[in-house]
Amino acid sequence: MSLKDLFERDVQELEAEGILFTSLQNLVKWGRSNSMWPVTFGLACCAIEMMAATNARNDLARFGSEVFRASPRQADVMIVAGRLSKKMAPVMRRVYEQMPDPKWVISMGACASSGGMFNNYAIVQNVDSVVPVDIFVPGCPPRPESLIYAVQQLQKKVRGEAFDGNGVQLPMVEGWSRS
Amino acid sequence: MSALLERLAELGGVQHEFKGMTSVTVPKRAVLDALRAARADGLEMLTDIHGMDYLTYPGHTGKRFAVIYNVHDVAGRRRLFIRVDLDDGETLPTATGLWSGASFLERETFDMMGVVFDGHPDLRKLLTPEDLEGHPHRKDFPLGETPTLFGDGRFLDPASFRAGLSGRDQGLTGWKGGARDGVVASQTPKAPGTAQRPEKSGS
Amino acid sequence: MSKGTVVKHDTELGAFDTQHMRINVGPQHPSTHGVLRLVVDLDGERIVSLRPHVGYLHTGFEKTMENRTYQQGVTYSNRMDYVNGFAHDLAYILGVEKLIGARVPERAQRVRVILTELNRIASHLVFFGTTLLDMGALTPFFYTMREREVLQDIFESVSGVRMNYGYYRAGGLYRDVPEGFEEHVRGFLDSFPRYIDQYKTLWMENDILLARTKGVAVLTREQAIDLCLTGPSARASGVELDYRKGQPYSGYDDYDFHVPVYTEGDIWARLAVRMDEMVESAYIVRQALDRLEPGPIIDPDRRISLPPRRELENSMEAVIFHFKLVTEGFHPPRGEVYVPTESARGELGYYIVSDGGSMPYRVKVRAPSLANLQSLEPSSKGGLFADMVINIASFDPVLGDVDK
Repeated sequence: MSLKDLFERDVQELEAEGILFTSLQNLVKWGRSNSMWPVTFGLACCAIEMMAATNARNDLARFGSEVFRASPRQADVMIVAGRLSKKMAPVMRRVYEQMPDPKWVISMGACASSGGMFNNYAIVQNVDSVVPVDIFVPGCPPRPESLIYAVQQLQKKVRGEAFDGNGVQLPMVEGWSRS
Repeated sequence: MSALLERLAELGGVQHEFKGMTSVTVPKRAVLDALRAARADGLEMLTDIHGMDYLTYPGHTGKRFAVIYNVHDVAGRRRLFIRVDLDDGETLPTATGLWSGASFLERETFDMMGVVFDGHPDLRKLLTPEDLEGHPHRKDFPLGETPTLFGDGRFLDPASFRAGLSGRDQGLTGWKGGARDGVVASQTPKAPGTAQRPEKSGS
Repeated sequence: MSKGTVVKHDTELGAFDTQHMRINVGPQHPSTHGVLRLVVDLDGERIVSLRPHVGYLHTGFEKTMENRTYQQGVTYSNRMDYVNGFAHDLAYILGVEKLIGARVPERAQRVRVILTELNRIASHLVFFGTTLLDMGALTPFFYTMREREVLQDIFESVSGVRMNYGYYRAGGLYRDVPEGFEEHVRGFLDSFPRYIDQYKTLWMENDILLARTKGVAVLTREQAIDLCLTGPSARASGVELDYRKGQPYSGYDDYDFHVPVYTEGDIWARLAVRMDEMVESAYIVRQALDRLEPGPIIDPDRRISLPPRRELENSMEAVIFHFKLVTEGFHPPRGEVYVPTESARGELGYYIVSDGGSMPYRVKVRAPSLANLQSLEPSSKGGLFADMVINIASFDPVLGDVDK
């Protein structure tokens, strides 16, 4: 038998005894995507729907976001839920910078993604100009199911399974490669 | 209520009724006396202090600003609006001596309209960021809209779409559909095609 | 007294000095109910002074509403106090209707009362969930959210959205309530008393909660009136103001209900007022539902409300009215109105100024939470820092309402 077949047979024997084989990269992908803890950054109405996404009916915890950490130092993802006013923008940047790498941002709702219905002097028209955003969620407010879908898409992106319309892989996010 | 209205008339107040709402315009020097008289008559709760800018109100003669005090009784049945007319730069005495809850209300009026209240313990901006200069609810403060990018690469000023509807601007189409006599445009309408690309908004 | 003030202590262990410490709480904080920033001066654990800094959610609602037609204003009003959207919608629409002189049919008024009271219950459920979360009780949040999901299903069936509804129109409602609305609401009402009993047993009689809230952060009646406090927090201090009784709007004088007023003024009283209000609101909804009769749901005056689509096929005048209303909107006559209503947080009113155009000249929102926030300092002074956290929660501020 070839070396490859021998290796496969050994792997199967060991797996039957309960030893799993994987690469370090896959293990890291699995760990990171399945336990994304958001930092509490609810600003306005979307925050109420974010709270509703954690309640018993639409349980976000079953996808890994078990707790919302109040301290950014213990969080992975920042869900910007609500309209970002210009007074709050520096505060948000500071909270983002306090999060350790790797970190991601979900911009929830129309107001965070584009200013929404508030095209005026007080609201930042796209949160992407303050923090780099990975997932934009449309809606005013997005249903809790939308937010759960967004978290799942982010998990796919983190695992490297996300592809855009042309079949090009969206880059697996490495915290140290982002500016 | 009639005793109170007589007392306010003595202070120089002019009464005005509209759809069941009574408002009395008093001269500036009599504001605190008017509030005290209202409170003595049983209107012991102050609900709101806000400013009005009549710069572009069609057919408005008289001073540019008005500050309106909204007082009512504890049962909520009787209500009185005490108004003061002001010019730009005129100051009002603070009502925080009468109601300490007037503190935030006056700060908001100062922030939004620019009306200064003498004697206020801590008159500074309440709602707007520290680096925003100006008073947003004044009519000459622009709304600050970002032009909209269209698929074919044109940037259009959102106010142009609403133009004609309010009669204040004529915008892109020049339609004067809602135009009314005496309306003064608060922002100069842009000629079509002159909207520029906005600067990249930074943090 | 401020940061750095040295306090001298002379004890049997000897004399020593301490200093006041200044702590910044927020704006990003798990317990401030939004983006509220507090600068607190502490002497040990006791609060010496507390200054709220607001404006981190300032959205420029009022100025934006000056550039939208009266009908489009309904999309803005409920996003201010997003937990109690129907109350803001109602206050705004009542102001517009007073300006333009619309006559609202009875069915529309009853549906409005039903939806507004259900929304009051939903708002108080959020209040209880988050207040108890601040106290460290993590489970009641899931219980109250369970009820709130049922209510949001009702709102979704009526208006299409779970939150930030655009259902009211000047003159009535956008469309009639769907089939099965009555059964849906009655189902909720029938199950609600059992849940109220559950809540009362779970937390209102809980020893830890009583120890933490009884006699804590007391606000007397004189202080409440002096600080321009309104709403359930004021009723907990003995101020018996309720606009549903004082200046009934939308047919509230038709219904028989009781306004709970407590005199203790402590945090427990603020909780108890809202618990009783939920029961009263359910009773109002039941009465309104029993008296709901079929009928028109919007003022038939074509200058205010859209004609039904069937008419557009036959009548030219209907097409013209439709066109004018959709493009330009109606033009109320010149004037200034203010209609006070009772939201879940206090007195809510929209001071709407019309200059005869299709867009309001000025909209000033008398938002209850901004005035209520001033009561934080007097009630927290001298108390512990941990009590301040639940004190903020007990005044139920919603920062969208504060910052507008």
